[in-house]
Amino acid sequence: MGQSQIPEKEKILASFPLRKALPPEISGWKTGREDQVFTRDDVFDYMNGGGEIYLAYDFQFVWVREYVRADEPSIVAEIYQMSSSEDAFGVFTHDTDGDEVELGQGGIYGAGLLRLWKDKIFVRILADRETPEAKTVILELGAKIAGAVAQEGGVPGLVKVLPEEGLRPKSLRYFHTLISLNAHYYLANVNVLNLSPETQVVMARYEREGSQARLLLVEYPTVERALDAHGRFVEIVLLERFKAGREAPPKKLEDGKFAGVVRSGRHLILVIEAEKKSVLEWITKTISQNLEGQKL
Amino acid sequence: MKKRRATGTFTRRDFIKGAAMGTLGMALCGKGKAVFAGAGEDAVPFAAETPQSVVVLIRDERAIGAGDKVDAAVVQEMIDTAVQQFSGEADAVRAWARYVHAGDTVGIKFTRCDWMRVHTDQAVIDAVVKRVGEAGVGKDKIFAQDGGLPVAKCTALINVPSVKVHTLTGIAASMKNYINFTPAPSRYHAPSTNLGEIFLLPEVKGKTRLIVVDILRPYFGPGPQINPLHRWNYHGIIVGDDPVAVETVCLNICQAKRNLFKGEPWPITPPPDFIAAADKTYKLGTSDPAKIKLIKLGWDKDILL
Repeated sequence: MGQSQIPEKEKILASFPLRKALPPEISGWKTGREDQVFTRDDVFDYMNGGGEIYLAYDFQFVWVREYVRADEPSIVAEIYQMSSSEDAFGVFTHDTDGDEVELGQGGIYGAGLLRLWKDKIFVRILADRETPEAKTVILELGAKIAGAVAQEGGVPGLVKVLPEEGLRPKSLRYFHTLISLNAHYYLANVNVLNLSPETQVVMARYEREGSQARLLLVEYPTVERALDAHGRFVEIVLLERFKAGREAPPKKLEDGKFAGVVRSGRHLILVIEAEKKSVLEWITKTISQNLEGQKL
Repeated sequence: MKKRRATGTFTRRDFIKGAAMGTLGMALCGKGKAVFAGAGEDAVPFAAETPQSVVVLIRDERAIGAGDKVDAAVVQEMIDTAVQQFSGEADAVRAWARYVHAGDTVGIKFTRCDWMRVHTDQAVIDAVVKRVGEAGVGKDKIFAQDGGLPVAKCTALINVPSVKVHTLTGIAASMKNYINFTPAPSRYHAPSTNLGEIFLLPEVKGKTRLIVVDILRPYFGPGPQINPLHRWNYHGIIVGDDPVAVETVCLNICQAKRNLFKGEPWPITPPPDFIAAADKTYKLGTSDPAKIKLIKLGWDKDILL
């Protein structure tokens, strides 16, 4: 995740192409306050306390438009420009509660909130409260934005090595840093896995053999960094002595569940909260094979 | 290979064992029980017979109507009843007069959160302002604000937060509500362990007379932005004077709601370890449910405690 050059706000306001996809009026809703843009530098002015989650990805700017209509809730459309489709996908996976809708490369709607992603764009459209008319307008606005994004983007390569069997699709998360990990799953009060903007992480839950397990798959920029994180996990979390080149066997922890880690080149495959050891071993073995097959 | 486990390192395993920060293990263990690992096996949470802290929770079905509209008159009635119960006074104005006086300059610190939209409801703010005034404090000496509240000028504070699960601190209620009393709020985000030290700043210390929590429509989702599916109408007001005990009650309600929503344990993360630190390190109150007496008044459907 390398941070790229962000255009000036005035230029974005004047020339952001997706701006033209949104009408000034729709079903009686008209644009409210002036359109706004917030970049990495001032995103906290828009969402104080919430900006960190976007900054944990290579977020460039968010373009915001408000629609208002008398006797109906106001609707705010936010278009997030990311530097890569992988990060647009990642932000989309942050919260997957809601019903899937066929918009863009993935859409979720629930109770007046639509989220979708396509190529390098993540979209969030929210009504103050849900009404039947507001829902129709939200979905129409989402379709207009998705339709204006010319091409589709790729999902992270790491996602492609996950075994589909037993995967709980809505549990899939993609991110880079500790702040995102902590938002989804607490491992420790220190950065055990050496996560940074350069790491890629996929987290998912599996159901297999009538049992559950949680996967954390991490890709590091170098083998050395993967090796160091491997040692840290074994010593800090598993509380075992680490010796490079020797795999630590899965360990049953205080909650009665198994935890284990396998390194494959620049990748760490961690399975935690596995109710069955056999499932843990199946996940690590399958992913190791897939990584080898994909030459990631 | 040198030993990597350093002092001050806590892992998920430590929390589950109850070895870290005392009281939060059950949240991570996720068995759907109360957040309650600091007390003995036989202790009943929130039923202390000789409590260190008392917290009053009042709920009223009429508080929220169609379109999630809050009924200001009902809210006033709830706050009056809860403060009367907490103070032991039979009259609302006399009850408030136990906490603020004519000579006070009173800061009413509420939560305003434009981006997340989980504000302290205006009906709650208005009810508190009204009673503080009736207790003898002049209008020109009441500052009801979020950002910019002149805390140094105030002799008394009424802490009036909303309640939400928070991406960076775990939960945001009475403790996090004071975060903008410091010039560097981001210092207390991720990790938020030291949030309690804000209560010990010279311009804040010892000024909090009462806590009135708006838990009418709290938020239990991960954030950082609101997902309306994660907000629910709880119809509650909480009153107390111990910010740690109040936060502990709020944490338990939100954790129970999360588990109910998913149909399985959905632990609040990151764990709000600032609650236990506020108890053990900063001595601001108790986070041990065995030392808290929770008085429940009113509507008890789906109370979650």
